[in-house]
Amino acid sequence: MTRHLIFFALFLAAPIAVQAFPVTVQSCDRAVTFVALPERAVSNDVNLTEMMLELGLRDRMVGHTGISDARGIDAPLRAALDGLPDLSPQYPGREVLLGAGADFYFAGWNYGLQVGGAITPDTLAPFGIAVYELTESCAHVMEKPKASLGDLYTDIRNLGAIFGVSERAEALIAGWQSELADLSPESHILAEPPRVFVYDSGEDMPFTAGRYAMPTALIEAAGGVNVMEDIGRSWGTVGWEEVIARDPEVILIVDYGEVTAAQKRDFLLSNPAFADLTAVREENFVTLDYVAATPGPRNIGAVGVLARAFAEAAR
Amino acid sequence: MTAPALALARPTGRGRALLFPAAFGLGALLLGLSFTASVGVGAVTIETGTVWGVIANRLVPGLVEVAWPGGHEAIVWDLRVPRAILAGLVGAGLALVGASLQAVTRNALADPHLLGISSGGAFGAITALLHTGMILGLATVPVFAFAGALGAMALVLGVARLADAASAERLVLAGVAVSFIVMAAANAMIFLGDPRASHTALFWMLGGLGLAQWSHLVFPALVLALCGPWLWLRAQDLDAMTIGDETAATLGIPVARFRLEVFSVGALLTGVMVAFSGVIGFVGLMVPHLARMMVGGGNARVLPLSALLGAMVLIWGDLVARILMAPQELPVGVVTGFVGGLFFVWLLGRR
Repeated sequence: MTRHLIFFALFLAAPIAVQAFPVTVQSCDRAVTFVALPERAVSNDVNLTEMMLELGLRDRMVGHTGISDARGIDAPLRAALDGLPDLSPQYPGREVLLGAGADFYFAGWNYGLQVGGAITPDTLAPFGIAVYELTESCAHVMEKPKASLGDLYTDIRNLGAIFGVSERAEALIAGWQSELADLSPESHILAEPPRVFVYDSGEDMPFTAGRYAMPTALIEAAGGVNVMEDIGRSWGTVGWEEVIARDPEVILIVDYGEVTAAQKRDFLLSNPAFADLTAVREENFVTLDYVAATPGPRNIGAVGVLARAFAEAAR
Repeated sequence: MTAPALALARPTGRGRALLFPAAFGLGALLLGLSFTASVGVGAVTIETGTVWGVIANRLVPGLVEVAWPGGHEAIVWDLRVPRAILAGLVGAGLALVGASLQAVTRNALADPHLLGISSGGAFGAITALLHTGMILGLATVPVFAFAGALGAMALVLGVARLADAASAERLVLAGVAVSFIVMAAANAMIFLGDPRASHTALFWMLGGLGLAQWSHLVFPALVLALCGPWLWLRAQDLDAMTIGDETAATLGIPVARFRLEVFSVGALLTGVMVAFSGVIGFVGLMVPHLARMMVGGGNARVLPLSALLGAMVLIWGDLVARILMAPQELPVGVVTGFVGGLFFVWLLGRR
């Protein structure tokens, strides 16, 4: 019942008609003002591009960048892209964005923007290219609370405001929230939140998600806890000793790139040092694609996958 | 290495000295052509007519009718032209430093990056990129890199004094030691920083001209305009130093003091160049040798020709770095290192 009341309140709060410009949104530590609707947007990386498409902004875009072969474009995304040009398989340079005549660039720190690099809000400003930064990635340039699904909602809401589609944004968020609330109740009857370790890659030292990376939020939403959530970083390497000391009950494998999820799983199962980890002993592994583990529309399904895996592990 | 090593490219007869005006004129012509090629090529294909239309219109407004999209104008005028100019300035500066350091140290392998200055610049840049963030806006990396370069230079001079390093070898050794210390500190900072951001630091350390912009060009241009003539006016002193400290002293040159002066001027030049372009290897080392092969060992000719060739080598290196994996850019240091390495192998095989 309360949930329905919240829905109702959300719909009331949503702007009803196309809002008037100028629109000002908060992008990391900057307030960005748009005097007109962006007409030639570019987004970087697969998850950010999906956010744009989910909001129905395909027609406002001139291309995407940063979706390398390793990240992959699956059938649903390919259909949604509908021939949108791939401007650069990796991070674009300024020349690429200018050549496409871009007026808007949706990217994140270390998702197409690099501190001190050639592409930042500062370096693009002289060319009239406005930048909206992925909220999850703000941890690279400012103090920020722990990653949460709220970061995703903030981005959807801000993009909605920038492109005059706030209604659609609010409807998406409301739909996702109800989807999450409807998740199998199994995840809520776990006596203790399962301890989860995110294994991205790396054999000598694992690359994992810390406090500010999206998997921490997904694990939390699914009823678990990231064993590395006290590490004040986005993504980073930790020592294997630290992993062993924290004895994860579930290992979340992020699947992308050259090493397959099965190879990562085999590596974890084969090394005698890990044999005593609860997750390894009980073979509690769960896999998420890169696009589901980074901020984007597929996060909601990812929470469901994790919740089911945690319930399975608790049996 | 001593004087004979430096003389490896010394001409055998007087005839080759006459080559200088010809070589210099040809060089200037080639430099113009290099610039033309560089602004004509990039990740986005722009017609030659448009490229020159944009440039002509900027120099003489209204000269050509605008028939191109605004994005192309920005690419040519705000990205490619300042970039090509920066490449020329940095290449010329590094080659000059290399030529003069090789003379005062009588070491064929002396190079602007040997003496800790570049490591200091890298240390400063890494501090900004990975730890402080862009606290000074777009000027952050150049300011930090320059401060790091000056700090390292002060350290080298301090160590040189401490070790009473009046001789060329001790000065070089002091520089190398400081370079190792500073580089170790820089690597520690990379290790402690965000691993994904360290890619930016790595790119910076391998050199890149992608951040070139008009407002920054004044600094390398100014320092080159001051230090270049200063070195050139001392070409004869540098020649004397190449022969030996005793000869130079006999000619009335205050050897230890002069060497420190050349060092400091070199550090200033290198520091400014490194601040805007990262650590670009091999230009300072290989270009002076190339110049000596063409016009002999006299520094009055070697210095200006080195500057010219250095500018050209870096403009072409940057061009290759941009087109080899377009639209991605290779760090220009990778290109100059590769070409420079091959050149040195060839040079060794020739003897």
